[in-house]
Amino acid sequence: MILIAFVMVSVISLIIIAATHNHRQMNTVCILQALIYAVLATWIALFEQVPVVSFLVGSQYFFIDHLGLFEVLIATVIFTCAAIYARGYVEGLLESGELEKGSLKLFYMAWALLLLVIVLAFFSDNLALFWIFAELTTVISAMLIAILAARDNIDAAIKYIFIASVSMLFAFVGFIFLFETSRVRLGTGTLNWTVLMEHAATFPPGMMIASFVLVFIGFAAKSGIFPFHTWLPEAHAKAPSAVSAILSGVLLNVGIYGIIRVYALVHQTTALATIAPLLALFGLLTIGIAAFSMLPQKNLKKLVAFSSVENMGIILVGLAISTPVALFWVLFHIMAHSITKASLFFSSGILHRQYRSRFSSDAADDIRDVFRLQPLAAWGIIIGGLAIIGMPPFPIFFTEFFIMLQLGTVSLWAVGVMLVLLFIAAGGLGYFVLTNFTQVSEPDTPPDIEPYRTPASMKAPIIFLLALLLVIGIVFPAHGMEFLNQIVTELKF
Amino acid sequence: MIEQATIEGIIRILFVCIIITAAYIISTRNLLSVVSVYSLQSLTLIGIALALWSLEGSIVLLEIAVVTFVSKVIIIPYFIATIQEKIRIKRDIEFHFLSPTTSLILSMALMLVIYMALGRIIPGRDSLFFFGAVLGISLMLMGMMVTFSRKRTITKVLGFLSMENGVLLFGMFVTELPFIIEFLIIIDLIILVILTTILSVGIDSTLEDYHKRLHRFHLLDEPEEVP
Repeated sequence: MILIAFVMVSVISLIIIAATHNHRQMNTVCILQALIYAVLATWIALFEQVPVVSFLVGSQYFFIDHLGLFEVLIATVIFTCAAIYARGYVEGLLESGELEKGSLKLFYMAWALLLLVIVLAFFSDNLALFWIFAELTTVISAMLIAILAARDNIDAAIKYIFIASVSMLFAFVGFIFLFETSRVRLGTGTLNWTVLMEHAATFPPGMMIASFVLVFIGFAAKSGIFPFHTWLPEAHAKAPSAVSAILSGVLLNVGIYGIIRVYALVHQTTALATIAPLLALFGLLTIGIAAFSMLPQKNLKKLVAFSSVENMGIILVGLAISTPVALFWVLFHIMAHSITKASLFFSSGILHRQYRSRFSSDAADDIRDVFRLQPLAAWGIIIGGLAIIGMPPFPIFFTEFFIMLQLGTVSLWAVGVMLVLLFIAAGGLGYFVLTNFTQVSEPDTPPDIEPYRTPASMKAPIIFLLALLLVIGIVFPAHGMEFLNQIVTELKF
Repeated sequence: MIEQATIEGIIRILFVCIIITAAYIISTRNLLSVVSVYSLQSLTLIGIALALWSLEGSIVLLEIAVVTFVSKVIIIPYFIATIQEKIRIKRDIEFHFLSPTTSLILSMALMLVIYMALGRIIPGRDSLFFFGAVLGISLMLMGMMVTFSRKRTITKVLGFLSMENGVLLFGMFVTELPFIIEFLIIIDLIILVILTTILSVGIDSTLEDYHKRLHRFHLLDEPEEVP
């Protein structure tokens, strides 16, 4: 029943967007949709018994547990902020002619639909259904990347669709393996995660390894994990910044969420001994590739995109440790990364508007007089950058610290390698800021760059998200801890 | 009533037909015939679904046959052929990394590897499920080679579609999979095909059109003349 409420809100939003021609109205609808979703999700978290009974959910194919709700809460916060940010940002795109007025309706309809599909994905109990929604998120978000209709964008969107969808087909074959395994063991086959979790301990490890590896290929591509990460920097850098924030802050989580769900099944079998080292290896390789790509990077949005790749690697390493404490911090990291990354993309979006005539999305940035022209965005990048490289008191410091502490109980070598790679990634970000943000025009030359008047709607989300990060880092409420612990228990870690 | 052994024989013959169509999609350069071969491949799949239905009597297989016929034999090939006419590309002669001959040799090797790998996991090498799994996954990998070795987006789409046929082939041997899921996958596929082909119009349009776009978005700034 509750899912019908989510669907109805989106249907109404879509109808209004289709009926109106005014940009502000379309944008307001998207903000309201995300806000109502946030309220609904918070209501479930506060007043309902989670996992929610299937009668209230309305279908046996869906369920609402703590992990799904956690992801939906993150998604609604990011979507609300991104929709507010888009108000000023999209107006800028319209003025400069980068976005055609005719595409506006398509843009906001895709936006509203994307949030619905993401929520349905997180609330799917049936893994095949989850797969379909995850696949739809790829198609819809690719539409949002290609909306600018520049050749670069179309290229990036097509690359994204092909790499993600081709890999996702492997994930589906993995699910068929899982279905067959459950059919052999239980008599009737099922892909309902809750049923699989009850019986996973009896599943043969050989089939579990095969199905996990196939599922991993699919969702690794979706979350930008090496060697399937090649689409990510292109797509995230070329998408409109409001969309980049969603791609990085929410859509990468869809992939990781899929991996976590199936990993929880593997965790109960002896296949874990084979799978865990594999995850750790791919995690470290992902961090490594991202770190070395960040070092020479001269384009801000690409740099931030590679940092997302790096963080997905950290999450994978944390998962591979397979202890309850490590999983707790992995979940914390997912939340912290989403918030930090969204704020970073918002800030880079402002700089992109400011200096857009000077660089295409591929060229090196030529950022000058940044503190005079865009002080908020500059500080947003610096503070967000400190947060993403894991400086205290920001939450990523704690997550990285505790994940590495847990990793130390498994292998000190791995800790050493990870630490070096994290330093390299931090160095890449620091070097970019130092070289670009210190460029100042000669005092006696007349200023040749007009300051871009940043609308308040583009500034507010950055301030809000950075403040939220600080609060989470300094005083994370006991209820939040309890919530994350519930997820760990439900995943049977 | 036809005997079970005969039907199993028919299914095995159809398996061979599937492999031939996949090999043709990998090697041919004429775009229109790739589309027709894809329709033929889907038709073979329908044949397998019907043969399996007469063996097992599961109604889902009949439903799959109908949906596959409507979507993959009629709608998708028609749509792609229409787009092809619009962008006026008849041949796709450019390949990345792999030439058709290498692709064919590689796919034979892949099939052997998959046969051996799955033989270890799945019990009963003579079962149709085992053959369905080997061929389904081989078809997927052959489709993947097409997707990554062709330069034109429209051929990439056909490679992807061929991959999806592999998944369907594999999925048909797990007949209990609810129909609603098969149906949703087809919907997803149709959206994906429509989107990528529309985008390919943007990519594969004429050079003049490109330049117009590049200028419009400041991506192709010509250097200003120095007086």
